[in-house]
Amino acid sequence: MSHIKHLLKTPRYGGLLALVLICLLLPLLLQNAYQFDVAIKVGISAVVVVGLNLLIGYTGQISLGHAGFFGLGAYSSAILTVNYEWSALAALLAGSVGVGLIAFVLARPILKLKGHYLAMATLGLGIIISIVIATEDWLTGGPDGMGVGPFMLFDYEIYGEKAWYWVVAALLVLSVWLALNIIDSPVGRALRAVHGSEVAAQVAGIDTTHYKVLVFVFSAVIASVMGSVFAHYSGFVTPTEAGFFHSIELVTMVVLGGMASTYGGILGALILVLLPQLLSGLEDLEMIIFGLILMLTMIFMPKGLLPTVTGRLKGGKA
Amino acid sequence: MSAEFLQYLFTGITIGAIYALVGLGFSIIYNASHVINFAQGEFLMIGGMCTVALVGTGLPMPVAILAAVAVTAVAGLALQKFAVAPARNAEVVTIIIITIGASIFLRGLVQLVWGKEFHALPAFSGDEPITIGGATILPQSLWVLGITLVIVVALSWFFNKTLLGKAILATSHNPDAAKLMGINTGFILLISFGLSAMLGAIAGILVAPITLTSYDVGIMLGLKGFVAAVLGGLGSGAGAIAGGLILGIAEAMAAGYISSDYKDAVPFVIILAILFFMPSGLFGLRGTERV
Amino acid sequence: MSLLRVENLVKSFGGVHAIQDLSFEIPEGVVYSVIGPNGAGKTTLFNLISGVYTPSSGEILLAGENTRGLAPHQLARRGMSRTFQNLQICMNMSAVENVMVGSHLRLDSSFFKAMLRLPSITRGDRACREQAEELMEFAGVGHYIGSEADAMPYGALKRLEIARALASEPKILFLDEPAAGLNGTETAEIDQLIQKVAQSGVTVVLVEHDMKLVMNISQHLLVLDYGKKLAEGSPDQIRCNPDVIAAYLGAA
Repeated sequence: MSHIKHLLKTPRYGGLLALVLICLLLPLLLQNAYQFDVAIKVGISAVVVVGLNLLIGYTGQISLGHAGFFGLGAYSSAILTVNYEWSALAALLAGSVGVGLIAFVLARPILKLKGHYLAMATLGLGIIISIVIATEDWLTGGPDGMGVGPFMLFDYEIYGEKAWYWVVAALLVLSVWLALNIIDSPVGRALRAVHGSEVAAQVAGIDTTHYKVLVFVFSAVIASVMGSVFAHYSGFVTPTEAGFFHSIELVTMVVLGGMASTYGGILGALILVLLPQLLSGLEDLEMIIFGLILMLTMIFMPKGLLPTVTGRLKGGKA
Repeated sequence: MSAEFLQYLFTGITIGAIYALVGLGFSIIYNASHVINFAQGEFLMIGGMCTVALVGTGLPMPVAILAAVAVTAVAGLALQKFAVAPARNAEVVTIIIITIGASIFLRGLVQLVWGKEFHALPAFSGDEPITIGGATILPQSLWVLGITLVIVVALSWFFNKTLLGKAILATSHNPDAAKLMGINTGFILLISFGLSAMLGAIAGILVAPITLTSYDVGIMLGLKGFVAAVLGGLGSGAGAIAGGLILGIAEAMAAGYISSDYKDAVPFVIILAILFFMPSGLFGLRGTERV
Repeated sequence: MSLLRVENLVKSFGGVHAIQDLSFEIPEGVVYSVIGPNGAGKTTLFNLISGVYTPSSGEILLAGENTRGLAPHQLARRGMSRTFQNLQICMNMSAVENVMVGSHLRLDSSFFKAMLRLPSITRGDRACREQAEELMEFAGVGHYIGSEADAMPYGALKRLEIARALASEPKILFLDEPAAGLNGTETAEIDQLIQKVAQSGVTVVLVEHDMKLVMNISQHLLVLDYGKKLAEGSPDQIRCNPDVIAAYLGAA
């Protein structure tokens, strides 16, 4: 136990090593396709959340619309591979470049806003994207969604839960490594300074708008890539992937697990994907219990699960 | 004025009045506590669903309405007391998640009690459309407009003339000073949620005969009410009313003249455009950050 | 040539004139103090000079260059640094990291290099951390090197903020009430720190209420009242100036 504690405390590579080990060992515990499926869904959300945490947790800029970018990625892959017969990789890249451009253009006016106004703007953006996807049915299949083909990487098809598990696990480790690198660098300090005191960051020579735009685009591109991955994995996309509730779900993962805690976000993704699975037997009570858990965790652990727990372990204040 | 235009205008003003009431609810809570209550839409839903259920038990409509408003007010008070107040010092996004959790909880509760079906509430005074200038308007629309007007007048009297109303305004301007003047600010926050819940309930009951009601009817109405509040400048009552009417009319015109497919997107497109070019809303004034 | 020159500066908020037609010059290498009663416009003046506010009219020249339209981060690049009246420490970071934020301009801050943690980033960070630790020692908060910012007492945070301001290696440093809220001993320590900073060749501009501190360490003073220049000169000249005495006795 103390050994694990020590590992988690090591700044960068300790936690990453633990994550790699968990990803490597987890398949030994997973018994059937259903459990692999849940693990993959946790992984997909976790990667999006790692990116979103940079924006919300570290930089302090809320987004209630990131599912819009996830949806755009998913539909880019679906439309380009199905309707235009692009290769899956090309579609994924084109989608993420497109989303990156959209995010870049919108980032400046959006990130000038603060607090509830920023929440409103990102919420509106996400909702508009999901409405467009649901409405342009000639292209997207409308509210019923559309089917997506398998992911062909050159001549190899990523097929079955096990193969997808390794793809998603690799992406998760990669995203965590990138995020940790960013956080502990001049860029990461600039982002955190924006959260801590934007005016102090500015007079210290940090072009805060530039960094806010960068992190917004980065998190949007990650969401888009994972949208593409999700589309090919599940073989089907619907507008709900881009919808308001998915956005809220993503933000909740960040906040529940722990803002400004990369591993906390992963924990948040784990809980929020698992919880509905566990509650699904309760049918009518599912929403009530889900809502209650959300409220109670945030009331009693406003900093999120992981920071609160590690705070208690260190014996300090939570 | 063409009959067509007039028709869209009637539709727009009716739904706009509802958005205005929801926006007012957002503003009252925002003023008192700087919280955006994402469960605001659920107040509409509870108001509407409760009335339907109570009318179903054979209660006369006015009694059912009063009881439904009371039930919703209690929900509002409980939300503040048990969910928002304990998290007073948390970050904006944390409180947003709490109110979203509350909205899911309330939706779940109503769905458990009354199911997932749509329910119809009879119109207050018949369904016979009235013809004005070639366009028709439902009697229920007149109820919506009339009651909205009464509420606006009553609220402005409440905030400007009564001690409690003034205390709420004082608290919103400067909570610390208000506390020093002997105002029980905790109580004020509670009252604000109660008041806001009542407004929501009334809006929900008014609109139920027009749009039907169900456990998830509050989501979109709530979000659009939030748009109305931001459009008018968060915290401004008059702004929320104007914002609501503008949204309703724009939505109806866009649905009529452009495409009804994008009706629901209209408020969000408008708010994005406004925020990009006027970051504090149409009528908002932004204070300068002091450093 | 003076390091900073302010010409006919005006700032109004709504109808209120916070700064009215103010002109003065700050020569290089001095400790220059701006004093005046509460609400005289001292902090507004700092906010205007550091680019946090935009002047309604008038010019500010830094080393001969007009700063109109320059954002705070661009002014930082030209050698300007400051602290704040109400502390602006990033409580979400450690003490050392706060100071490291100050050296942002001199580091390779490419997003892609940072993401991949290329050697240039690692090298820069190591040097930057060492320098930040030295600055913390210099500012007298060396024993907080391992601390989180939110675990530090107020007096130490005041000095941490000065360390951060120095990390950008400024030519001119603006200190907004560095002794506010400090006790006698702490004020004396801040006094010494400011003198050390000045000796290292940085021009220091001070807003301060503590008259003893101000008279002690500054070569030149500017007295503001209601946004206007009331007097200007050496500590001795200011001490005998009848307008200043009237304003201060009147205000007290």
